Amino acid sequence: MAKEGLGLEITELRLGLPGDNYSEISIWGSKNKKRVLSDMMTSSSLNTENENGVVSSAEDESLPVVKSQAVGWPPVCSYRRQKNNEEASKAIGYVKVSMDGVPYLRKIDLGSSNGYNNLATVLENLFGCLGLGVAKEGKKCEYIIIYEDKDRDWMLVGDVPWQMFKESCKRLRIVKRSDATGFGLQRD
Amino acid sequence: MNYFPDEVIEHVFDFVASHKDRNSISLVCKSWHKIERFSRKNVFIGNCYAINPERLIGRFPCLKSLTLKGKPHFADFNLVPHEWGGFVLPWIEALARSRVGLEELRLKRMVVTDESLELLSRSFANFKSLVLVSCEGFTTDGLASIAANCRQLRELDLQENEIDDHRGQWLNCFPDSCTTLISLNFACLKGETNVAALERLVARSPNLKSLKLNRAVPLDALARLMTCAPQLVDLGVGSYENEPDPESFVKLMTAIEKCISLRSLSGFLEVAPLCLPAFYPICQNLISLNLSYAAEIQGNHLIKLIQLCKRLQRLWILDSIGDKGLAVVAATCKELQELRVFPSDVHGEEDNNAAVTEVGLVAISAGCPKLHSILYFCKQMTNAALIAVAKNCPNFIRFRLCILEPHKPDHITSQSLDEGFGAIVQACKGLRRLSVSGLLTDQVFLYIGMYAEQLEMLSIAFAGDTDKGMLYVLNGCKKMRKLEIRDSPFGNAALLADVGRYETMRSLWMSSCEVTLGGCKRLAQNSPRLNVEIINENENNRMEQNEEDEREKVDKLYLYRTMVGTRKDAPPYVRIL
Repeated sequence: MAKEGLGLEITELRLGLPGDNYSEISIWGSKNKKRVLSDMMTSSSLNTENENGVVSSAEDESLPVVKSQAVGWPPVCSYRRQKNNEEASKAIGYVKVSMDGVPYLRKIDLGSSNGYNNLATVLENLFGCLGLGVAKEGKKCEYIIIYEDKDRDWMLVGDVPWQMFKESCKRLRIVKRSDATGFGLQRD
Repeated sequence: MNYFPDEVIEHVFDFVASHKDRNSISLVCKSWHKIERFSRKNVFIGNCYAINPERLIGRFPCLKSLTLKGKPHFADFNLVPHEWGGFVLPWIEALARSRVGLEELRLKRMVVTDESLELLSRSFANFKSLVLVSCEGFTTDGLASIAANCRQLRELDLQENEIDDHRGQWLNCFPDSCTTLISLNFACLKGETNVAALERLVARSPNLKSLKLNRAVPLDALARLMTCAPQLVDLGVGSYENEPDPESFVKLMTAIEKCISLRSLSGFLEVAPLCLPAFYPICQNLISLNLSYAAEIQGNHLIKLIQLCKRLQRLWILDSIGDKGLAVVAATCKELQELRVFPSDVHGEEDNNAAVTEVGLVAISAGCPKLHSILYFCKQMTNAALIAVAKNCPNFIRFRLCILEPHKPDHITSQSLDEGFGAIVQACKGLRRLSVSGLLTDQVFLYIGMYAEQLEMLSIAFAGDTDKGMLYVLNGCKKMRKLEIRDSPFGNAALLADVGRYETMRSLWMSSCEVTLGGCKRLAQNSPRLNVEIINENENNRMEQNEEDEREKVDKLYLYRTMVGTRKDAPPYVRIL
């Protein structure tokens, strides 16, 4: 905590979304049953000392690092929050894409993509990483792509028809295959 | 005591409008209590569970206007589960059974059903005004009943409600004979709008002063509407994401130019920046401007508009305006009284360097001497800035600062923001509402307890160190009515220190704090006039009460004073002790 003011937080090793500064808030008492993903992350982060030597700051205050924000924070009323979400991703067709380990977010226009292969190529170019497999080819790649749908569930990209995906995708995330196993991904 | 006949006293009372004053009058003597009772037209009930409709009607049989509030404030942020309560139907049923000639109903955070609206529309011949704010549970079918049956309807104002839009023809349900509309606001409706019906309605409503459209009303329709309602004072435009063709633009601008009475502008969901110049002609007359939903507009487009709004008193904006934009506001809007700056990026993922900082806040405080209300979302703050703000603006009545990252300290000194907020409460002697954020210790609450003598509402999140913090506030702020706390380390010692205190307040909310079930039980034991509600949605906790652990922390506590005991309509996960 004391480090925060010195701007050293960027060097702090932690699991979480890149650029996600206030993810270190615990969710006291669970509210949202669908947060399966964060529960999974929590348990995996508590147990792991993976190859990168990344250790979660789970020990102090018994607050595991969860990647989602505290419920109802920031205090923006739900009507406005919905408008905010709709605005950001609706008619324009742009969705935010984040990639683990990369400290910035990008936006891509789903509307201008015509299929999963195209999407994979666009993302590869955007983040400069190769071999971004989507769904079926995923087994071979280091990274997989997941997306957050309207219900705020995380799903594996490639499972549903392209059109359906375009309409329900709110944002994208590129994660390491190894981290993703604990994601509790929803599969229809 | 009475030197005058009752009618004279009643006439004098007519000049006393404020609820507080009328409440005071009624305490003077029995005679005044009686006269006041029968002459009271407007009743305000801040917590619908503090009293019941039968007693309300018993005391104020001649009431014409009723305001009711339901859920606690934190319900706005999804902290109160659905079906918690706040149902308006019993109220409408009771009023309908009685002989109250209800003319106006204003509801906030209540559950309203189509059935309630239907009953309302059929029960009161003189019903004139319905205002619903942050309500839910109804559909456009309910609106259709209101439109069809309320022959004297003057006002239908829907603000930020969750309405199921059945895409019916509710606008068509206003009979042709309905010409009395003064205010119509349906901005929160998500579905299609029958534009033709709307145009006909506006055309036959010569008294229409306030019109707020939803996103489905296209630009050309807006132009036509404004052409037939140049007397508008308050306009909410819809959503115009496509840039207008030159002809439409000219038509719009011509229509707008004629609206010389226009004083308030809002809406602008998804607005193409090129639509904004059409409004330039009337900017100089505006006193209220709400651009807080216009997410896609860049700062410089906003700035051009604002530079023309020299008479602005109220401005709601997004943080994308930036410090530079706020400097323009400070230089231009010398009459500014209320400013709200909302976060454009609620999830905080973007590295948004263009958003506002403490610099913008200081600029506003320096440039706008009449500023008395502020809501400001930002990513960083400093004590120095807050101290400067306090010095520049000692007239704050409402000061709400939300630093997006919890526990964030002064970004230059890395210290807590105790001194900054301390300066605010010390300087602003009239402060009635305060929201604090950032890194805060018990010290800030010491300051608040010491200086904030007029404080009525305080919102605390992720702040404080020990029970002392909460105690400073409860002991010091004698006028406190609503205290809401989340994610702060206050526990039983603070909660139980002065149980009688809570009967002088409307309510207390504590979530994710340190209070335990045992503490809440002790609190509830000797307090028949308090409802102590434990809200716990956790599946596991719904069962065996014999096994319950009094040391278990309570997820959400909501307590409020009441004259009618435990409510009967609570869902299973709400336990009233």
